[in-house]
Amino acid sequence: MTALTTNAPGFKQIAVEDFRLTEEPFYLPIRDEVELFETAYADSVPVLLKGPTGAGKTRFVEYMSWRLHNKGGHGGHEEGVPLITVACHEDLTASDLVGRYLLEGDETRWIDGPVTRAVKNGAICYLDEVVEARKDTTVLIHPLTDYRRLLPVEKRGELLEAADGFLLVMSYNPGYQSAIKDLKHSTRQRFIAIEFDYPPRDQEAIIIERESLVDAATAMELAKLAEKVRNLKEHGLGEGVSTRLLVYAGKLIHGGISRRRACQVSIVWALTDDREVQRSIEEVVASIFDD
Amino acid sequence: MSIADDLTARYAADLRGFGAALPDDFATGARAMSAHLSDEELEAWAKAGIELANSSLRAWEAAAEYFRASADIVERLGTEGIARWAAQATELSSRSSLIAAQFLKSTPEALAVLQPEDLEEWAQQGDRLCRGNWKSIALAQLYFQISPSLFRSLSLPSVGRLVDVIDQLTERSYELATTALEGSGQIFASLSGHDREPFLRFARAVTRASWADTRLYFERGPKLIERIEAPQRAAFLDLAGRVTTEVGRQGFPLFSDAAEALGGMATEEHGAYIAFASKIATGSPTAAMEYLKSAPFVATRLNPDQRSLWEQEGLEILAVEHNPEGAEAYFRLESTRAEERMRALSSRVELSSINSMLRMYAKALSGEPVSVHSAEDLVERGIGWVTESAASTEGSSIYLPPYVATFPEQEANFQVYKVFTTHQTGRMEFGSFDYAWDMPGAHVASTGPRREVAAALRRQEQGIAAPKAEAVTAVQRLFNCFDDRNLIAGLFTVVEDTRVDALVSREYGGIRRWLKRLQDHEIGRRPKVEEMALRQAFVENLLRASLGQAEAIRWPIMLREYMTDGIAALRMVEQAGATVQDSAEVAGALYDIATSIPNVRMPNPDGKFDFEGASQEMMDVLPSMPGGGEGGPDMPGNQQEMAFENPPQPDFRGDFKPELVQLMAKLKLQQEGGADAGGSLTKEQLMELLQNSVELSISEWAEGDLDQSLGMFLDNLQKEAGTPAGDKKGEKKDGDASADGGKGEGPDEGELPVEVTWFYYDEWDFRAGDYRPRWTRVGERVSAEGDRDFYEETLRKHHGLVMETRKQFEMMRPESFKKIKRLEDGDELDTDLAIEFHVDKKAGAGPSARIYNRRNKIERDVAVAFLLDMSASTDEEIEKQKVKHSGKDDDDDDNFDGDPRRYFQWLAARRAKALVEPPKRIIDLEKESTVLIVEALEAIGDSYGIYGFSGYGRDNVEFHVIKDLDEQMSERVERRISKIEPIRSTRMGPALRHTIHKLDEYDAKVKILILVSDGRPQDHGYGRDRTEKEYAVHDTKQALVEAKRVGITPFLITVDKEGHDYLKQMCDDIGYEVVDDIESLPRRLPTLYRHLAAD
Ligand SMILES: Nc1ncnc2c1ncn2[C@@H]1O[C@H](COP(=O)(O)OP(=O)(O)O)[C@@H](O)[C@H]1O
Ligand SMILES: [Mg+2]
Repeated sequence: MTALTTNAPGFKQIAVEDFRLTEEPFYLPIRDEVELFETAYADSVPVLLKGPTGAGKTRFVEYMSWRLHNKGGHGGHEEGVPLITVACHEDLTASDLVGRYLLEGDETRWIDGPVTRAVKNGAICYLDEVVEARKDTTVLIHPLTDYRRLLPVEKRGELLEAADGFLLVMSYNPGYQSAIKDLKHSTRQRFIAIEFDYPPRDQEAIIIERESLVDAATAMELAKLAEKVRNLKEHGLGEGVSTRLLVYAGKLIHGGISRRRACQVSIVWALTDDREVQRSIEEVVASIFDD
Repeated sequence: MSIADDLTARYAADLRGFGAALPDDFATGARAMSAHLSDEELEAWAKAGIELANSSLRAWEAAAEYFRASADIVERLGTEGIARWAAQATELSSRSSLIAAQFLKSTPEALAVLQPEDLEEWAQQGDRLCRGNWKSIALAQLYFQISPSLFRSLSLPSVGRLVDVIDQLTERSYELATTALEGSGQIFASLSGHDREPFLRFARAVTRASWADTRLYFERGPKLIERIEAPQRAAFLDLAGRVTTEVGRQGFPLFSDAAEALGGMATEEHGAYIAFASKIATGSPTAAMEYLKSAPFVATRLNPDQRSLWEQEGLEILAVEHNPEGAEAYFRLESTRAEERMRALSSRVELSSINSMLRMYAKALSGEPVSVHSAEDLVERGIGWVTESAASTEGSSIYLPPYVATFPEQEANFQVYKVFTTHQTGRMEFGSFDYAWDMPGAHVASTGPRREVAAALRRQEQGIAAPKAEAVTAVQRLFNCFDDRNLIAGLFTVVEDTRVDALVSREYGGIRRWLKRLQDHEIGRRPKVEEMALRQAFVENLLRASLGQAEAIRWPIMLREYMTDGIAALRMVEQAGATVQDSAEVAGALYDIATSIPNVRMPNPDGKFDFEGASQEMMDVLPSMPGGGEGGPDMPGNQQEMAFENPPQPDFRGDFKPELVQLMAKLKLQQEGGADAGGSLTKEQLMELLQNSVELSISEWAEGDLDQSLGMFLDNLQKEAGTPAGDKKGEKKDGDASADGGKGEGPDEGELPVEVTWFYYDEWDFRAGDYRPRWTRVGERVSAEGDRDFYEETLRKHHGLVMETRKQFEMMRPESFKKIKRLEDGDELDTDLAIEFHVDKKAGAGPSARIYNRRNKIERDVAVAFLLDMSASTDEEIEKQKVKHSGKDDDDDDNFDGDPRRYFQWLAARRAKALVEPPKRIIDLEKESTVLIVEALEAIGDSYGIYGFSGYGRDNVEFHVIKDLDEQMSERVERRISKIEPIRSTRMGPALRHTIHKLDEYDAKVKILILVSDGRPQDHGYGRDRTEKEYAVHDTKQALVEAKRVGITPFLITVDKEGHDYLKQMCDDIGYEVVDDIESLPRRLPTLYRHLAAD
């Protein structure tokens, strides 16, 4: 990493726009998402990543930012494409995104919000779980998705034009399926959508193995388990088990926890509080693992 | 002249005037007695006789007996004894000469057993029975008549006790007393010595507690105790006696049931049972008998060690918790505690307790919406499955035996269920029913078409009729290629099960160990190969190999190659990647081998083909397909071939019926009108399939009536196909009614027979302080439809009210709160925004003054269920109720000041009114109120369900769905409302529980349950007897508490003004309202609802 500033001993702080991945993140392409993203990026087409939680969306964006950087950089970024991530939530305000004035002694000082920084620095701006944000906040980004790529900074009466290399990426989990928490069509229709789903058994096994360092056979069994548990979606479970949880299970197993116990804490209990469903999944675990 | 003749002459005058024979009797007696007596003694004897004859009107008859019997007993009694005897007779004669006569007559016989000094006591016993009336005289007479034979089995004091019993009975019925006495001789003769006294003791207890049962006891008692271990009978009878003394009339039925139960148990255990029963009898006699009654059932679940733990718990309820009612319920097995304890202790596993877990498990494994049912259900459906003990699947559901007790440990039995389920799921998961015509397998090429041509040629050559119609399914077409369908079907089953087991082992490492254990267990249950004919033995050996038990093979060494080839072929499907296509090909290859083996019985006379153990070669053989062609070794000589029969299937694999499953899938497709259904099937085709299929056992069909049976069968199949896959009518556990498939099955246009779905619920026994598990059965059905008039009429009649409530309800719309942020004005200040505002202002950046928040009402999320009492009591007319309540009797002319004219005027007016407007009943008001509330709820947009309940007995609580929670309001609902009518009883608890279950399943933030009734829970068996209300009231209250526990707000509305309202007292912490003016219910209900749903 570059441009570290040290404020206090043992405390490292880094400006968001300076954040770069220095190591290649592991990402296993499942379909044509890499190609799609690269092409979209080249043409500044905003991207919406759709899919359940823990399916690799965040990892994918990290990977893409690294990859674009290492390809020699689009738009002349010598240091590649920075990635600025905003985790969205209900109380997120426009100021949180664009920037605000701060009091400094008797003075006030303006500081840029993450979106503004991304716009200025030609970074990939990743709005994670965008449905969580209020609709009137989301509207703010609309002009950025136009061909003009502008960001209005109301409080300063400015209009910022996005630097080369800037790209707006959002993630969205359609699983919640609630009428209130849905994207506005006017927002949605400004993005191309890449669908993410949990990878097929073989590929998921590779991911688990790589990420958790468990042996290949166990990784395969975990992936099989995932497939079975996902069969219960809508039949007792709201969501299937995520790749993320499988990786956790793999890590515990790698760390010496028995396989059944590892699955119990990282899969069964993480997924549901319903005793009956828990019991059923535990039995599936017990059928697959004999210890 | 002898002294005797002299006496005869002397007393001739005294003897005259009585019966003609008396002088002769006297003469004969006197002559015989003279040999034993001195003259004076003879004189005294004669005098005593004459006195006796004169003692009462017909006493001469007694005297005749006296004269006749004396000589036989004089030696035993001696002179003095005879005199005492005569005195006793005279005493009796003062009561009745008949009694005296019988006494005298029976004396010789009695003395065969009694001592002379016993006569006094004997006479008194008879005397006791005599009360002066003729019935008692007859009874006493009977007593003297039969008691000599009684003495052969009972001692004199015992007979005395019997007399007590008889005497007691006479207070109620002489007839019964007489019958009992008459029978007693035989009864006591039949009882063994040790049992007589205890039998009598208990007889006394029964007679005292419930005299009428004495007859039953005398009739059945000996038989009942006969089956109890001899040394234990006394203890048992005494226990029963103690119980009877305490519980009274229930005593005998308890005894009889307990004896019956005990009699069915192994005799050597009786002692232990009775000992424990006696132990609890001190705390609760009833519990002791209930315990014995339950013993046979308990014994099927628990071994002796487990049983004593189970007993201990019950004893604790009694001795430590001092709760006899609880102990009774416990030992009667009507308490949740008893059942849970048993379940925990028992190694046996019940399907019902793990059904829904297994269902989810099967869904996870197969990815299909599978359901799990008891195998009994599948048999009942009459679509070709017949074994209840084995697992099976018809492609969309899995059927399992109702319980498993294969192994001594519970865990192992549970694992058995898992293996069963995994294997059946495996058939779906691994495509056992997906066989397609002429598709190559992963390891073997398809030979289908070749075989088909060969079969056609063969049939032509041999003049066998070809199939009459084109095959319906791929499996059928495959089987058509073989002459022996039974054989090919059996082989296909073995091979496919081998493949599935291999896959299960490979895919589910955790199951492997248990599968192995079950396979080992199955091997122990296989029929003996040595007793089979050769071809059959071949298939059996394959099956053993497929169970991973090649070492259990028994086969003639001379024919080794056949077996080795067979096993090698079987191993083909154990390889990774093998599909059902491979299985079909391997089965075909095995068929070829099998048909080259004659089905003759071993051993051969020359011993050449004797069975031997498996060779190493067989066990280690590698997968390969047989080469075919080259002539094998010599076959055993030309014996008569036997008919081929497939060896039985191991339970965990169960029936495999691919032909039927494929047929059903096809029928289903057709009924769904799929364009790809491939044209419709002809009746001919179907008949052809069914007639030939070996998956139906022909014995099921009445002989000669084949066509009709097949037709019926086809009907069943089509019915099956017509209903969607997954959960169907099958039994549902409470709280578990179908996570899937439960909905959207509403009958089409209402012409279908009522489809009832059953649910089971516990019931609260307040005495035991425990639930009675699965005590009630609720049948849910869609309510019948009437015409719409009622609905429209009600709307018209209450037009004003309808408009008013609608408006009120519309105003309620947004009621739940949500914070709205960033407002220019509001009821709270947002600190963050306020600070920002100030900083912005300082920076001079046109700040936004939107710094307020407001709590706003938005979206409602309320679900309400209305439960209407449809019991017969709601049929009561309101007029009548009012009248009764006012406590006045209108027919009483006081009301009309004695003026009959006024009365007639009143009557005429009332009649006229009744003509125009038939009298209103509670149910009518319930209906009207329903209409109004529906209108109101439609305005507000809350989810609501309307249900009615009634029924009779705990097994049949009717639950009528008028409108389900997730159903749209429709004309049909209107029709159902008009059809609401009073039916039978009111078992509120289960109806409430079912409604709670429905609400609980429904997704809403606020849930309300409103029960509208007349306040009288009442049903057959809903309480100790007809008049008891407490039980019903407590159960109802408990159900309401259960509602609160799951976050439902219950509310009760009763329309009862007569103080019939038994619920009120109980419902202190539950919303409650008695609607004062009954007719205001329609107005009141919406208002009430508004208040309820507002908070
Ligand atoms: N295709 C993939 N390649 C590599 N890792 C993956 C992939 N998909 C999922 N993962 C793993 O799953 C975890 C969770 O993924 P993440 O990107 O955080 O999910 P999301 O953002 O969709 O909720 C990652 O940390 C990574 O370990
Ligand atoms: Mg993420």
